[in-house]
Amino acid sequence: MEYGLLAAALMAVACLWLALRFEAGRSNPSDQTARLWDAALIAAIAGLGIGRIGTMVSGGVNPLSHPLDVFIVRGGVDTVVASAGALAVFALIARRDLPGMADAVAPAALAGLAGWHAGCFTRGACLGTPSDLPWAIAGPSGIGRHPVEVYAAVALALAWLALTVIRRRRSYPGIAASLAIAVAAGVRLATQSMRPAIGDGPVWWYALGVAAGLAAAATAWVLGRRRA
Amino acid sequence: MLVAAALALIAGCSSSTIPLDSVPELPATTPADVHLLLAGSDRPIVLNVWASWCGPCRSEAPLLRSAETAWGDQVRFIGVDVRDSQDGARRFIAEYGLEEIEHYFDPTGAVPDDLGGFGVPVTFFFAPGGRLVSMHSGVLDERTLALGVDEIVRSAP
Repeated sequence: MEYGLLAAALMAVACLWLALRFEAGRSNPSDQTARLWDAALIAAIAGLGIGRIGTMVSGGVNPLSHPLDVFIVRGGVDTVVASAGALAVFALIARRDLPGMADAVAPAALAGLAGWHAGCFTRGACLGTPSDLPWAIAGPSGIGRHPVEVYAAVALALAWLALTVIRRRRSYPGIAASLAIAVAAGVRLATQSMRPAIGDGPVWWYALGVAAGLAAAATAWVLGRRRA
Repeated sequence: MLVAAALALIAGCSSSTIPLDSVPELPATTPADVHLLLAGSDRPIVLNVWASWCGPCRSEAPLLRSAETAWGDQVRFIGVDVRDSQDGARRFIAEYGLEEIEHYFDPTGAVPDDLGGFGVPVTFFFAPGGRLVSMHSGVLDERTLALGVDEIVRSAP
């Protein structure tokens, strides 16, 4: 059992839950919290599974021949496939009121992601590329390295705060969810160059996520203004 | 229909990369051989302990293949197959296209026991000259592997 991964996942889930509880009765109706919680959790778990299968397929491991390997999450989860899968599953669950539910869960989803990144201390994944900065953390050989996951956690936590404020002020349907997508992709894009990786990673997909999120937010704003 | 299409796509992705006949028998090794190999290497070494019966080893095999492709000119990638059969080992290498990695056969598991590893898979990262920089027990993820390689590439002998 990967206790480190499990602890990070619990941190993510706890942050998601706390953020939803915080919003209950403020930006979100109190009676919606359980529904949002269920939808977010199911989408996250489904996304994890879909992303894991994506990694297996791209690595040449047939998931039908080795179905139990899907549970070896440490072996890799394709972030882009997982995100697309989670969004698709969420859209399916919330199909009757997609903009409303997506907006309601968006800030909490960023808080959950912040919790996952902050959990790098338990899953042993904080260290990035070498750095001389005072807050660099030494790796096994003594070389100082960027605590890249901490950067991501801080950026996502700040984005959660900002989105919470935006939702409490006048906001049109779809804007919060679109901005959350842009922020999540943007944080990955901004930190990618500091992450140790084989190759450059899916930077173009992250850039596409930022562009799509911003375009969707602008469209939601224009449509909202017209309707108002 | 979408599910059927996805299943067909997944089923169609064959994981067999190279013909089994092209994989030779793995040379046997001992802890003494490995110490000599480590001490004599002027390049850093990633030594991965694996077995064909080990599910987690399957999960990290594509990563090791990609890492060897990316850093094979700077780092020596060595696989030590433990408590296994030659047939199983060759099938595993063929299935995941790991022929570029230098493999050795250790039927008793003496090498990881001697190096201080626990269980399978386990991966050791050595600086040039054989100094152990770090060890990872369990499945490798991309970041751990990339970080481990970066550490040994930057390490002095």
